[in-house]
This record gives sequence, C-alpha cells and structure tokens, in this order.
Amino acid sequence: MIVEQITKSINGKTVLDNISFEVKPGSIVGIIGRNGAGKTTLLRILTGIMDPTAGDVQIKGKSIFKSPEVKQDVIFVPDSSEAMKNYSTRELVRLYKSVYPRFDEVYFHELMERFNLSEAKKIKNYSKGMKALFSLVTAFATRAEYIILDEPTDGLDVIVKRRILRTLVEEVAGNNVSVLISSHRLDELEYMANDVLIIKEGLQDSYYDLDTLKSQYKKVQVVFKGYLPEDIKPHVSIHSQTGRVYTLIVDRGNEEADKRIRGAEPLLYEELAMNLEDIFVTKLGGDEFVS
Amino acid sequence: MFHKALWMQNYKQSKLMVWVIFVIMLFHFPFNAMTTVANMEEQIRLSVLHSYDYTPSGLHAANIFNGGALSLMMIVSTIILASLLIGVERNTRRNDFTFSLPFKRRDLFLAKWLFGTLVIASFHLFHFTLGYVVFSFSDFGYLLNEYGMIELYLSPLLSFILVFSFALFIGTVAGEMISQVVLSFIFGIFPTGFFMLITGFFYAHGGRAIYTYQGIEDELVARLTVFSYPFVHTDTAEQGYPLILMIIGIMVLIYAGTALYNRSRVEHNGEFLLIKELHPVFLVGIVICFALLGGFITSGLFSWSGSFRLGMYWIGYLTFGLFSYLIAKRLLSMNLTVRNR
Repeated sequence: MIVEQITKSINGKTVLDNISFEVKPGSIVGIIGRNGAGKTTLLRILTGIMDPTAGDVQIKGKSIFKSPEVKQDVIFVPDSSEAMKNYSTRELVRLYKSVYPRFDEVYFHELMERFNLSEAKKIKNYSKGMKALFSLVTAFATRAEYIILDEPTDGLDVIVKRRILRTLVEEVAGNNVSVLISSHRLDELEYMANDVLIIKEGLQDSYYDLDTLKSQYKKVQVVFKGYLPEDIKPHVSIHSQTGRVYTLIVDRGNEEADKRIRGAEPLLYEELAMNLEDIFVTKLGGDEFVS
Repeated sequence: MFHKALWMQNYKQSKLMVWVIFVIMLFHFPFNAMTTVANMEEQIRLSVLHSYDYTPSGLHAANIFNGGALSLMMIVSTIILASLLIGVERNTRRNDFTFSLPFKRRDLFLAKWLFGTLVIASFHLFHFTLGYVVFSFSDFGYLLNEYGMIELYLSPLLSFILVFSFALFIGTVAGEMISQVVLSFIFGIFPTGFFMLITGFFYAHGGRAIYTYQGIEDELVARLTVFSYPFVHTDTAEQGYPLILMIIGIMVLIYAGTALYNRSRVEHNGEFLLIKELHPVFLVGIVICFALLGGFITSGLFSWSGSFRLGMYWIGYLTFGLFSYLIAKRLLSMNLTVRNR
C-alpha cells in the first residue's frame, strides 16, 4: 500500500498535509498523534470512506478511489461496531462472504471457538469486549492483505486485550498480513509495531521503523549541583524533574547538547532505555501530552 | 450495482419500510377492491329497499388503483424508504462501512435506487393484479372499461418511482435522515407552494392575477411539482406527455443523484446539508419562503383589503422571517451523528 501526498481540508482548514508512506507486506504500522491530530481522518481516507483533497492511496499500483475493487484486500475495523449492531453473526458471515472473495468460513469458526465467542442473533447483544473481538475475527477471516484498525483495544480489559494483540501478531507472522493501527496505547504499539507514523497537527512528523526512531534519541538521567543550567534547556526536552534530578531526552545528532551537559559537570549522568512514550512526549507535546 | 452484498445491506437497513409498503398496497389494492365491491353491493341493496337511485361510480372504481389516499401514503412511505437507504447511514457509522466496501460509489447509489424501485414495482404489480382481478371479476368490473392501463397502472407506478428517485436524490444533498425527509417534502411541493406564496404577496399589495398565456403558468408550475404527479393520472392518459416527463424526471434524478453521491463529502455527515456551499442559498431561501408564508397567513386572517391588511402582511412577514432566520441558522450548524461504541 502506497500513500502518496495525502492532503485533506475540512471547512477550509487543512487537517492532513502531505502525508506519504508505504506499508510493506507483513508489517505492523502504528499511527500515533495527539487527540485531533488527524489519525482517524487518515484511516478513513486509506479505506476510501473519505476523499482526500489531494493525493492518492494505491494498492498493487491501482488507486483505491478510481478502482475501489482493489479494496477487496483492505478491511477497516472502526472503533465502533455500531454499523453492524443489527446483524446476526450468520448474516454478517453471509455479507462478508459476498464482499470478500477469500473469506474463510472455516477459519472464522475456528477463531470464534478460540475466543469463546458464541453466535449472536444481534451483534449488539455482545458485550463491548466481545464486539471488538468479533470485529477482529471477521477482519482476519476476510483474508484481506491489509487490516486497518482504529483504536482496537480501547475500553477492553487486560485479558481480552492480550489475546487480541497476540492474535494480531500471529496473523501478521503467519499470513503475511499488514496491519495499520491507530492507537493511544503506546505500550501496545511498542509491543507490536515495526514502523511508526507520527502525525503532529495534521503534518507527518516522521515515519520510521521503531528501532531507528528510538535510536535517534537517548534518555538520560542527570543530577547537577544546582538546577538545570539555562544554557542546556534549549537543546534538550525535559521528560521529568524531581528536585534536582532531571530526566532529559536528547537528540543523538545534537552534539552541542551533550557537550553542554558534560561541560556542566553533572553529579550523575546515566543513560536510560527509551520507549515509544518518551518519543511521543518529546515529539508531540512535552509534559502535557495526552495518552 | 447487482452485487448480492448491496442487496442484503439495503434490505437489512430498510426492511421495516419495505414491509410497510407491502401492507399499504395490500390494503389499498386487493382489500380495497373487495370492500368497494361489497359497498357497491350494499348500496344497491339499500337503494332497492328504500327505493332511490344508485349508480355505481367509475371514478370510485378507478380510485382503488390511483390517486387519493394511496398516493399520499406512497409519497410518505417512499420518502421514508429513501431516507432509510441514504439518510440514516449518514446519521450513524453505517456510511463508513458502506463506503469502505470495494464498490464504486456509483454502484452503491444505483443499487439503492434499483432496490427501492424494484420493491415499489414488484409490490405494485402483485397487489395491482390481485385488486384488478378481484374488481374486474365482480358485477362492477364493467366500470373499469372506461379506463386504460396507463392511468390505472403505469402512471401511478411511474409517479411513485419518481417520488422515490426524487427523495433519493435529495439524500445526496442532505447530510442526514431528518433533513432528507424534510427537504424532500419541501422541494416536492416547492414550485406550487412558492408560486402560491408569490401570488399571495402580490394580492396583499393590491395586485391581481393576469394570465397572459391562458393558464399555461399554472400547468407549468404543476408539472414542475414532483408531488403533483401521484395525484393526477387522467391527463397522463389523455395527453401522454406527463408520462414522458416522469420518465425524463426519473432519468435526470438518477444521473444527478449518482454524480452527487460520487462526490459525497462524508466529513459533513450528520449536518443539515452535505454541500457546505449551499448553506447561504438555503439560509436566504428558508427565510424568504417562511417570511412569505408568514405574510400569507397573517394577511389571510383579514378578508377586507387596504392598508390594515397590508400592515398585517408585513408584520407576519417580518415575524416569520426573523424566527425562521434564527431557527435556520441553528439548523444549518447542527450535527446529528450517533456515535455509539
């Protein structure tokens, strides 16, 4: 899937600007950004629900907007199963079978059994967790090459969440499926994602594989004799501060920052492990980030 | 557009109205034919008993198959059917599901049109045949001899499909279900209604009707009014051209509806209108129409003419205009999207 220079304006305001990336087969791409950054809008464009103001989304060289039949390889799992609430499980299987030619009914029942999901006369009778699980089960059974998930684990209990994440990873590993996930659960994305797209106020901040992204920064814990010297502040992001103990995020490419920190002769200088949340905080909003 | 999934989906979200249409036609054709025959027999029995003349009316017989209550009920039910096919999708997340499917939007729209049209046409054919058989095999079957199949069958059927196509077209402009229903009713009678309001304005100011073209103005306005077609079928049989107008109307509405549906701006789902550029036009239009209606109503309360009546016209005009402005502004900025998990 190639996403080419997607721009979207709504009511004269640009909500997405020039987003480009490529989803490789068998990869999991996490889309992260603060609330209102344009993540859901991007997912809706990637599935052809919304038209972009400019740009294109191509699958196997064909535009999904001009040739929507290529969307037989794409399944969108929104953050709500409201559209399906009046269908029975059997009706939905019939519907999906007629839409997605590779729908695997045997695999569908196998997954239903694995997740202890019984058939329902109406999807709305399922609990919140069961609805989310069922949406994923049907998505996997379509055997689509691209699964697009919007907040798949939002509001689910830990046990269900783990099962879902494990199944997702198994699907990607076993069936060469590509998954795009928009989520606020950075710990989950860190567990699964190969690549991360960061959107900041509609703009593509970065798109890297997770390890490259992490290697761009380092997290250091430093203690100075006094408070953090003023001349260091413009060169670092302050992750947290407890008294005179600072946790700083430093761009590895910024040699000046390192020079100034060491020049200030800290009492303690210790490098800590970076995680995705650190990158999120650094890139998208300092201490007042939303998770 | 013949895709099985789309038929299943369209039926699923509109099945209640589909069966309401079935029942409306069941009552209006076979049941109505039976009760009309029974009533006519009873009238004859009573006329013999009480010695008075009773002649069964051909018009009464024709009304089983066209016009009257059937037209009214079919206008309401086909508009609701169209709004369940398009408008309700925009109020909920169903539109996201529909548009994420691997089908062209053109096919999605044509599938909705074809589904509704086939529902109307097949139920109509089935119940019409039953009703026609019941009545024509009765003692009063001869009453139908003076009517042809155009005015009994074809013209009513086309008029229902026209109203349905019109409501579906309105669905491509409206942002949600309620506005689709409301706008379908408003624009369904708009030419006649607006003409009435404009003449009301001139009458209130001392004007009088001048028919330069011998009443062609009325004819033209009626022919431009979609809701006039389900009620008049005699002209259609006599002159033929309204039949052609209906067919042209249906084709134009399908073409325009497909084009607009193709350009649907999903981001405005749940709002009164899907096309933001139309907001100023609608705001001005709503205010002017309601102001004219206000003037029409308040001046109509006084039968005498003169400056008092004129003053009342303008009081009504300004009051309705002001309130319709305040309501329309709110209406055009509302969003009725259901976002359950």
